[in-house]
Amino acid sequence: MNCPIQSRNPERFVAYAAGTLDPETARALERHLAECAACRSIAADQTAVWKALDAWEAPPLSPNFDQRLYRRIDQEVRFSWWDRLARTFRPMPLRQAVPLTASAGLLLVAGLLLQHPGTIAPVAPRGEIVRANQVERTLDDLDLLRLLGTADSTQSVHPDAR
Amino acid sequence: MGAAVARALDYDAELMLRVKEGDGASFGVLLAKHRASVIHFVYRLVQEQAVAEELAQEVFLRVYRSRSSYEPTAKFKTWLFRIASRLALNWLRDEKHERGQERLDDGSPDLPLRQVSDRRPSVEQELVYAVKRREIRRAVAALPEKQRAAVLLHKYEEMPYAQIARVLECSESAVKSLLYRAYETLRARLAYMETT
Repeated sequence: MNCPIQSRNPERFVAYAAGTLDPETARALERHLAECAACRSIAADQTAVWKALDAWEAPPLSPNFDQRLYRRIDQEVRFSWWDRLARTFRPMPLRQAVPLTASAGLLLVAGLLLQHPGTIAPVAPRGEIVRANQVERTLDDLDLLRLLGTADSTQSVHPDAR
Repeated sequence: MGAAVARALDYDAELMLRVKEGDGASFGVLLAKHRASVIHFVYRLVQEQAVAEELAQEVFLRVYRSRSSYEPTAKFKTWLFRIASRLALNWLRDEKHERGQERLDDGSPDLPLRQVSDRRPSVEQELVYAVKRREIRRAVAALPEKQRAAVLLHKYEEMPYAQIARVLECSESAVKSLLYRAYETLRARLAYMETT
């Protein structure tokens, strides 16, 4: 095996200490270590570091870690629903609101007209009704006068004819 | 297609796709599986237990938040630790100027080192372990943040270089360089422990 120091392959020492070298490479390295004092020293130091790090235990976890996490997730889910709902009803700028409201109003009226055409039929103004009645009455009066006039003329001819 | 990719990548990615479809139980499975390793990784990086748990909560919260946009483009663990690394490294950067070296001694509980022997250690042994533990923590804390993250992923998560590169978003050769320099520093500080 080439000297890991000379061949600039220092990760060999790391892998050797970690026990991740394949058996054949590990045996070749061990043969080299027997001959090379510099590599032997690095390999020994790396093994010592590995063992020292092995001894570093992390503290135990809080028993309520999951509980706290799920509470936060619940809050987030609830908040996101509320936020979405609130966003829907959040007041919009006047420039956008006016045309939208006007369009909505027009659509509503159009919808009502289409659905109930009879109920929203155009209603004639009261003044026009009065005027129409007066005209009718006047025409009736004229007819009556015309009849009376005819009757008078018949009566006046008849005695003379006698 | 997503599920097939996930199956090819790992079972965790498949679980995450189930979370995406609204399966809350799968999120619970992922949490139970990765909770400890994420907290321990973040703890060793920031070296404060309360902060580590808070950041780990944020990691899983982000995983949950990202469920709808999740795509299994990498191993789930790679993605998870990328989130954890980013959060922890950002925290370290923000705290760098406020953080004093003395907090490394006082900031976390006194924990015994992993015991090889079954026998209860004597007071003298406890003291030796406490000194060793402090020395290990100091040596790791003295590493530049990215080197520290690389060592922790390599040593405790047993990740190969390629995966560490994906977590830390750098090249594989950059990871080799980070680890080489980190272990060189650690050898200078911790190698004596073998003989003590």
